[in-house]
Amino acid sequence: MTSVLLIEDDDRIRLSLSLALEDEGYTAHAVATAEDGLAEQRRVAAETVLVDLMLPGMDGFECIRRLRRDDDVPIVVISARDDTHDIVAALEAGADDYLVKPVAVKELAARLRALRRRGRAATTTAPAVRTLAFGDLELKPEAGEVRLHGAEVRVTRTEFRLLCELADHPGQVLSRQQLLQRVWEYEVGDERLVDVHVGRLRHKIEDVPGAPRHLVTVRGLGYKLQP
Amino acid sequence: MRRAGLRTRVSAAFAVGALALSVCVTVVSYELTRSTLFRERERTAVRATYFDAALVDASLKGGATNVADVLGSLDAGGDRYVMVQRAGRWYSRTADTDAHAAVPAQLQEMAAGGEAAAQRIRRDGVPALVIAVPLDADTVFYEIVAQRELERTLQVLALVLAAVAIMMAAGGAAVGWYVTRHALRPLGAVADAARGIADGDLETRLDPETEPDLAALAASFNHMADELDRRMRRDRRFAADVSHELRSPLQTLAAAVSVVDRRKDGLDERSAAAVGLIVAEVNRFQELVGDLLELARSDQPVSREPTDIVALAERVVRAHGLDPAIVEGDDPGEWRVDARRVEQALGNLIENAVRYGGGPTAVRVGKGFLEVDDAGPGVPEELRASIFDRFVRGPAAGARGAGDGTGLGLAIVAEHAAAHGGSASVGERPGGGARFRVELP
Repeated sequence: MTSVLLIEDDDRIRLSLSLALEDEGYTAHAVATAEDGLAEQRRVAAETVLVDLMLPGMDGFECIRRLRRDDDVPIVVISARDDTHDIVAALEAGADDYLVKPVAVKELAARLRALRRRGRAATTTAPAVRTLAFGDLELKPEAGEVRLHGAEVRVTRTEFRLLCELADHPGQVLSRQQLLQRVWEYEVGDERLVDVHVGRLRHKIEDVPGAPRHLVTVRGLGYKLQP
Repeated sequence: MRRAGLRTRVSAAFAVGALALSVCVTVVSYELTRSTLFRERERTAVRATYFDAALVDASLKGGATNVADVLGSLDAGGDRYVMVQRAGRWYSRTADTDAHAAVPAQLQEMAAGGEAAAQRIRRDGVPALVIAVPLDADTVFYEIVAQRELERTLQVLALVLAAVAIMMAAGGAAVGWYVTRHALRPLGAVADAARGIADGDLETRLDPETEPDLAALAASFNHMADELDRRMRRDRRFAADVSHELRSPLQTLAAAVSVVDRRKDGLDERSAAAVGLIVAEVNRFQELVGDLLELARSDQPVSREPTDIVALAERVVRAHGLDPAIVEGDDPGEWRVDARRVEQALGNLIENAVRYGGGPTAVRVGKGFLEVDDAGPGVPEELRASIFDRFVRGPAAGARGAGDGTGLGLAIVAEHAAAHGGSASVGERPGGGARFRVELP
């Protein structure tokens, strides 16, 4: 059974979401503070983390940064705050997705499924391991490996899926909506997800993130990957 | 009739005032000049006449018999006519034999009584003075002095004065125009500031120092702007607070309801019906809160970006489970819009068509506009203006009862259109049904 760590300070939300997640077939580990959440994650290593932003003590942003420092576990923010500033800050801290309360359980389940598929796609070991090269950037989609100047780069599963999607269409422009559909499985979604993830990727695979050579923006159209 | 502008009215008042003043001055100075000149000329004429009379008297007393010759010897110019009436007979110079006809009878009577007299007359349209000097019992010397030159002088004077009066009036109007421009300039600053605030720049303030006379206006304007700013901030904070406070319990409800809903089959019929109601209402409550928050935020400025509008429309149509083939691109050109808001506006229109209009039959995308046609009963004429107001539902909506929307969908459409500087409207689709149109410049 897949496990989910839920970090939420509101007792009633924590309880009701735990019940609903268990109904959906997940094992829910629910805690009330970020500190407890970090400890619990070290203990149970849940496959996905759901985190609120406004928490007593350490806030959600810091919690995401610390979780991200340890591993690439998918992190979904569930917050009542919906201004652009908060959304972008949470995604930049390392979150994979952002949902605004109230979230319908069906929607939450769909997001979690999409995240798991992203994870599986990256860890499948196929007999033939392809290597896609873009100049000094190398990508092995089946092995889940990214190398820059020969050195391995640590990317999250969502970042990896995004990179693979672009690498499968070398030199071709993919729109933000296309990327949202293929990576996040949103029919209609928030394009800021794509923009922030592209920004995060650039910090990892570009020599000068402010002047990207590989992952370039095509104004008004989208993004493309090039040597 | 539209009232004339302040500047026009002030300028006109200045012109009328200047005209009245200059007319007064002109009339008074004309009259003064005229009477002074006349008196001067008359005194001169009387003196000259007495001189002439003395000469004639001396000549006649000296034994001269031909009166006409005596008169002819006088040094009289073209504007002076000399005559003598002796024993009822008129004598004059040969050049002006009929001049005596102009001498009034009244004057003749006075002179016959032995009295010297003078009278103003008009001769050939020219003012003249007739002076009678009795020489002896039956001899009277008359002289007519025409004031031809004086008349011409006065005409020129009148002309000059009239021209001056007109120039004064024009000058007054010009001064009025100029003065009001300066007087109204600070009001222009007020108008600019008010426009700035209306456009959303709540930081705009007036400097009371620059225009001391309008300090009171500037102060109350700034006070108004402060108050407005404070209220807007308070409203926004309230919306944010409400948003958070409502969203947390709603999250609990949404999650808890889904748990109960899953077990509905195990419940008895009455409980299941109640759970069904709760689920439906929680869903509606969620939509309502989302829509209200969207409306509360709708006054925020749009962030325009180049957008592939046809792709956006197809995406929205697909997201509503409809065939994207109903999207008709009518040379939409390049769109620079806030994609998120346009997406939501179009989504709301499609939802409206699905809920109340029997589903959309076409989604048309053209240069600067979006149209959604439906197959419903259409919107009655009297409802077309108010249907975009909050919580207004058409008769089609009322008839449905269940599965009702929030009543905010079309209001959000109108707000998003307005945020782009555009508008939303509804009309009739040829062949029945409604056609909702959103203009986005």
